[in-house]
Amino acid sequence: MITDFGRVLIFLIVGVVFVAGGLIVAWLLRPNRPYPSKLATYECGEVPVGDTRVRFNVRFYVVALIFLIFDVEVVFLFPWAVVYKNLGWFAFIEMLVFLGMLAVGYAYVWRKGDLDWDKPAPKVPRYEKGIGVQETRMTEEEIAV
Amino acid sequence: MSDHLLNDLSLFAPETAITLTLVAAILADLIFRRTPLVVAALVLAGFVVTGLLLLGQTGVNASIFTGMIAVDSFAVFFKTIVVLAGILVVVFSMESGELNSPGRKLGEYYALLCAAALGMMLMAGASNLLMMYIAIELSSLSSYLLSGYTREAPDSSEASLKYLIYGAVSSGLMLYGISLMYGLSGSLDLRAINRALPQVLSGGGAASFTLLIAGVLALAGFGYKISAVPFHFWTPDVYEGAPITITAFLSVASKAGGFAMMIRFFKVTFIDAGAVALPAGTWATLQGFHWVDLVAILAVLSMTIGNLVAVWQNNLKRLLAYSSIAHAGYMLTGVVVLSNQGLAAIMVYFGVYLFMNLGAFYCVMLIADKTGSEDIDEYKGIGGRSPFLAVALAVFLVSLTGLPPTAGFIGKLYLFAALINSGWTWLAIVAALNSVIALYYYVRVFRNMFLRTEEPSSPGITLSWLQNAALVVLLVPTLLLGLYFTPLVQLAQASVRLFGTP
Repeated sequence: MITDFGRVLIFLIVGVVFVAGGLIVAWLLRPNRPYPSKLATYECGEVPVGDTRVRFNVRFYVVALIFLIFDVEVVFLFPWAVVYKNLGWFAFIEMLVFLGMLAVGYAYVWRKGDLDWDKPAPKVPRYEKGIGVQETRMTEEEIAV
Repeated sequence: MSDHLLNDLSLFAPETAITLTLVAAILADLIFRRTPLVVAALVLAGFVVTGLLLLGQTGVNASIFTGMIAVDSFAVFFKTIVVLAGILVVVFSMESGELNSPGRKLGEYYALLCAAALGMMLMAGASNLLMMYIAIELSSLSSYLLSGYTREAPDSSEASLKYLIYGAVSSGLMLYGISLMYGLSGSLDLRAINRALPQVLSGGGAASFTLLIAGVLALAGFGYKISAVPFHFWTPDVYEGAPITITAFLSVASKAGGFAMMIRFFKVTFIDAGAVALPAGTWATLQGFHWVDLVAILAVLSMTIGNLVAVWQNNLKRLLAYSSIAHAGYMLTGVVVLSNQGLAAIMVYFGVYLFMNLGAFYCVMLIADKTGSEDIDEYKGIGGRSPFLAVALAVFLVSLTGLPPTAGFIGKLYLFAALINSGWTWLAIVAALNSVIALYYYVRVFRNMFLRTEEPSSPGITLSWLQNAALVVLLVPTLLLGLYFTPLVQLAQASVRLFGTP
């Protein structure tokens, strides 16, 4: 008699054996002819340039977040569509509320300009503690310039 | 099915109201870009409506959404604390110099404040481990963003990052504890776990030990939210770096949510329903699970470390952060006693802590907006220049110390009475000694404000009518509840009932 977690264990063991077995068999069968290009990073066939540890544009992250808005939406729409007939109007309104919330997120992203790749650099507000209200006024030198 | 859900939704009205406010705040920010006060007013109105809806829930005792959330007088009390804190913090934010500097947009700020408040309200009601986790994450994620809102200030970004890292670790620990609980009992519902536990514990030492580990890991999550030692390391840096309005909100609302959730978790899950021969209003924990001693140790550590470290602080915000750690310790003693009296004492304490702590942070904010410093040495002579503000700050600090005739005294009195009634006299003595230490570092502020003069003297701090009104609104309960505290105490005593407990 195998318990539920016993099955999980078997699944884990099979997974490990499958991967390790494949690697070991390949290691036994394959010819061994090393040369430098084989150790290079694979970049879809291109010759790799520079270091891997470069700074990515943070906008990739924003794009990934925006993608979530649409992706998660679909994930929830499938089970909803399956049980829709049994639930009726309640489910319909519920999904409208859900989609409405996502639409607000979409409107927010749109209005804030995150759908354009060339977003103008945000103006970081200047406020230093200790200067307070006077910060908004220009000094005399600034006016002279 | 849907009738059932509709009924549940009507009990979920306050949370729905705050969610709608959140959505409306985002939309209003997109439409009225040039007038940030529109969003502020909208959010303020949303909080007020939420508060009114909460008033309508007096005496309800139900469980909604298939046991996910409990709506009982206990939850309603803590939700009210969160909403009141929200209202006051929105008023603070409207004229905060730190937030309203030129070029800053505040739409997201108010929206996130709603999200954080929603998370804290859900924390107060969550009666399922998964719901608890989601509520914690909702309030935490919003708090991380809010504490880094003044992102051009390096200490604000630092606060946000530190908060995020500590939060991620402690919520990971808590999640592991939850998974152990689920593995032991086969359920995520607190009452179902409670029913399953006697059998688990009878299984022997290994199960009992695993349960203890699970309880300790869950405690890490709660301890982080209420900033109890040893999960307090984020507190001083975050409180110092975050905008003061957010510091004030975190110190009261986040703590209220954390306490409510922790009390519900321990009281519903580990109560021994079969215990016999107990005095009315007290309860016992399951045999073989000694978390009470653990909480007592945490309380002593929080009080002592919080107060001793506060003595060395020169930044008033940082000092108040350590003092808030110490206050978490005082309130934890109310959990230790395992009686309704202890719970009522915690609630009374929160009722007064709301006003005195928000008041203290508000005074710090008003002074920092004008003088630009939170350094205690910069407070020299403020008593002479701005007497009202200085006296108000003094009253809040006296109340935080717990001296009569302020409300803080009543809070401490009820806690100590609960401790002594249930035989925890040594804990009461430790707490009283700690109050003496607290007096020392608060007196340093008084000395600078009233007994020292500044060379050369600068002009006094003028306040707008809104700021004066907010100060009065905070000051009156702090003084009044110290003299006429019966309504608050009665409210607290009527609110100790948790859904699903006798």
